[in-house]
Amino acid sequence: MKKILAAFLSATMLLGLLAGCGGGSASSGAASSSSGSGAAASSGSGKEIVINYPTFQVGVNTSAPVISALVEGFNEKYAGQYKIVVEEVPGDANYAEKIQVMISTGSLPPVVYGGGYKLLDLALAQDLVVDLTPYVEADPEWKAQYNDASMAANARDGKIYASSMEGSLVGYFYNKDLFAQAGIDAAPKTWDEFFADCDKLIAAGITPMAMDTADGAWCSQLMMGAMIATSGDEGLAFMNTKYPTDYNQDVVVKAVEKLQWLYQNCTTLDAVGGAYENAANNFYTENVAIIANGPWMIGDFSDTTLVEEGFNEKVGVAAYPGGFVYDEPIEGMFVTKQSDPALEEAAIAMVRYFTSDEAQEMALNMQGMVPASPTAEISDEALSTFPLLGDFLSQAAECELRSPTFTSNMVPGLESEWSNNLPNLATGNISAADLCQILSNFAASAQ
Amino acid sequence: MLNKASTPAEKIVKVLGYIFMAVCLIVALFPIVWVIMSSFKSNKEIMANGLALPTSFAFTGYQEALKIAPILKFFGNSVIITCCSTCINVLSLAMAGYIFAKKRFRGREVLYAILSISLMIPMTSVLHPVYLIINKLGLYDTKAALVLVYSALSMPMSLMILRSTFEGIPTSLEEAAYVDGAGFVRTFFQIMLPCAKGGLASAAVLAFLDGWNEFTFALLLTSSDKARTLPLALSYFSSQFSFNYTAMFAAITIAVIPSIVLFAIFQEQVVSSMTAGSVKG
Amino acid sequence: MKHNKIWIPIFLAPACILFLLVFALPLVLVFVTSLFEYKLMPNTFSFTGLSNYVKLFTQDPNFLPILKNTLVWILIHCTLHVVLGTALAFVLYKKPFGWKVVRTGYMIPNIISQSAIAMIFLNLYNASFGAVNSVLKSIGLEHLCHNWLFDNNTAFPAVTMIWLLFAGYTTTLVLAQLLSVDESIIEAARVDGASSLQIDFMIMFPLVRKMIGTTVIMAAAYMLQLFSMIYITTGGGPGVSTTNLPLYLYTTMKNRYDYGYANAIGVVIIAIGAVCMVAIRKLFRMNEEDY
Repeated sequence: MKKILAAFLSATMLLGLLAGCGGGSASSGAASSSSGSGAAASSGSGKEIVINYPTFQVGVNTSAPVISALVEGFNEKYAGQYKIVVEEVPGDANYAEKIQVMISTGSLPPVVYGGGYKLLDLALAQDLVVDLTPYVEADPEWKAQYNDASMAANARDGKIYASSMEGSLVGYFYNKDLFAQAGIDAAPKTWDEFFADCDKLIAAGITPMAMDTADGAWCSQLMMGAMIATSGDEGLAFMNTKYPTDYNQDVVVKAVEKLQWLYQNCTTLDAVGGAYENAANNFYTENVAIIANGPWMIGDFSDTTLVEEGFNEKVGVAAYPGGFVYDEPIEGMFVTKQSDPALEEAAIAMVRYFTSDEAQEMALNMQGMVPASPTAEISDEALSTFPLLGDFLSQAAECELRSPTFTSNMVPGLESEWSNNLPNLATGNISAADLCQILSNFAASAQ
Repeated sequence: MLNKASTPAEKIVKVLGYIFMAVCLIVALFPIVWVIMSSFKSNKEIMANGLALPTSFAFTGYQEALKIAPILKFFGNSVIITCCSTCINVLSLAMAGYIFAKKRFRGREVLYAILSISLMIPMTSVLHPVYLIINKLGLYDTKAALVLVYSALSMPMSLMILRSTFEGIPTSLEEAAYVDGAGFVRTFFQIMLPCAKGGLASAAVLAFLDGWNEFTFALLLTSSDKARTLPLALSYFSSQFSFNYTAMFAAITIAVIPSIVLFAIFQEQVVSSMTAGSVKG
Repeated sequence: MKHNKIWIPIFLAPACILFLLVFALPLVLVFVTSLFEYKLMPNTFSFTGLSNYVKLFTQDPNFLPILKNTLVWILIHCTLHVVLGTALAFVLYKKPFGWKVVRTGYMIPNIISQSAIAMIFLNLYNASFGAVNSVLKSIGLEHLCHNWLFDNNTAFPAVTMIWLLFAGYTTTLVLAQLLSVDESIIEAARVDGASSLQIDFMIMFPLVRKMIGTTVIMAAAYMLQLFSMIYITTGGGPGVSTTNLPLYLYTTMKNRYDYGYANAIGVVIIAIGAVCMVAIRKLFRMNEEDY
């Protein structure tokens, strides 16, 4: 009898104890960053250090061939010394979620790709990131890759924490055939022309735009952000503000109103509630004439599992009306603190390899990805494989107005709030001003 | 009940009953039939008319689904994880259920009540703590993590079922074993367990279904192909390839068929002990 | 049998360890951390007493609508869903032709994974090719077509239909109980001249009262566990019109990295569960013996 009681009591005590240290370790977080997959793997396989690299750039992801080529190249170059083992985490949202939870428990894989998910700031808040500054300073070629834009994306308080793999120069694509059917012969130069063209397309029985609301409404917010950025100095300044807290500005409300009009008049049935994939599919199947997206999509235009033969011939590319393109290096790869210094070294070697000019040039040649590094060479080979890319790069060179995207500037978490409220905007349940108020409230409370 | 001549009112009730049965059956089966049917249509057929029958039985959707997501690998993981967790669940709760049913000790009802509380704990409320614990144990992204969580997942149900099963076994059997000189452990494994076969099987089926269908923890506690389970294969299609509808419908079909087959085989078992368990609860 | 006592704790140990690791310890963590300001960004962990709860009930404009959604769903599920399942059980226990097929078929949506059901309905409701709109179009009711899951006016009922009609568990449990009723009781009533409806309501219903109570508890618990089906279909939108407490907990944890606040929501969920359990047991007099 007593024994049971004793057993139960000690179990309860154990519970209390565990609870104590569980809570405690959660607070200190960073202290024990090594229990993660990377270190565990490295101890198992003798001399060779294994870098466990979870990535969403696998399977059907557009960057998958580039990443697998880089992994192969790296494993060959460092054979016997380092070895990358790819852990497939399909779906970028799944990946971001996984890394976020890993950050919260302080056990990150040695190398993390920041991408558009604000993972760097999150990891920095937990003091989990290795300062790369001394390594970059010691390597003149690496240092030359950092210009102002990539410093903004990858450095905080003058310290470099990450290295970009790709840039992001974004305009939009249109279907030349459908434009011609509506009697439009060139991409619009002003927003007035743009909306007049929308009317022409509608009149010709063509749905003008591919739009979405899920996952931050990527395509839709690109169009809208361009309207804000080209509305004058105030708008451009807004678009260049990191983590804005006030969305109740005239320029923003006006653009949101236009967005509402586009949802209600210019897009497909499945836009509301749909994700980027649905929008893209509508463009691939020639249901719609316009989609806003970056040049990484160009490779898909000739992928016959997605589109009909010859589709790539029909696609035109343009900068936004008013002479604007999005220009923002995508937050790069960073190295996380590990208990095993050798693993950290290996991780740095991997980041260096994956973000080298050669790697970026390879990504350009294979998939038409725009390099982030100013020293990477745009080869003729790439331009001839992807004629649209050359066309776009020359148009983009003339654009003086540039900014990051509307959603990439948002405080963490706001993107899903925005996404969740867009269907209400589209159905007219809330007004543009209401939506801006919701965004402002959230942004203010997150500060 | 068909032996009696029925009044007109009773006839109407009977007809209404049949209509009601038919409606329920259609409501329950239509979505699944629709998905299976759509998995044989091409993307264009699906987009053109959501209701039309497939023009041919093409298995391309299944081929693509298997290509896009490593469904077979996930299938294997699901089998291993769920079988292990089911065994651990049933064995450990059979031991506990036996004690609760046949032994008297102070605090028995209190302990039983505490263990049953888990029925009312929504697992979503403890996602983060469970993740912390799994990580502290060094089990992150291992099959063991899911085995551990799934073993506990259907704990209250198994406990109820197995307790009532052991309560239904006459104590005289047990006493006879002791008289024959069998010890506690031998009595349990050689006399009691075989008598409780029915209860064990139903607890096992329920535990298996719980583990087989679980989604949230699988997503949270694993990251690589080596530990991920079948319900997650569907997540490939919700984002990555959401417009390859044929492949998506094929994947859904692959994910639901095992559950249906398992249930069809063991349904009597499931029904009888679900009842036995829940009466006690 | 004194010498056997030592085996009691040993036999209980595996179940208790499982319980501690997966239920008890997380539960303690949830309660304790709900009293802390425990955030990832900025990284904080400090005791703040009940401030998370105060913020939840007085300052959070989303909380009350979400709480309302959760309670409405529990209420609907405990009533309509259970009534539906019970009604079918009362039809089936008379063993009409095909009753076994219906019992098995009706159970199927309950035994396949929720994520699969959610994916199925996401497509059924699809605005362009979904079966719901296709049916409406084919019977000439095109004006009733909606983008069901993403239109503020239809999202809540559309999501509710994903689980409301699938009362297989209720039917199976109540039916099993009905079938276990002694035939002689029914025959005796029939000899006394009772109609079949009278038998159903006056005799059978009271006999399965406890079982119905059990299914109501299960229904409430099910609604408090509800997550993947909303998450995969609407994601809680538009706005927060289809968000429930578990989903809100999840988004608070994932999007705001505010674990203390998220765990305070977890405590509210657990409290609702406990209140429901007690209330339902009282309502169905489940602690009393049958008469």
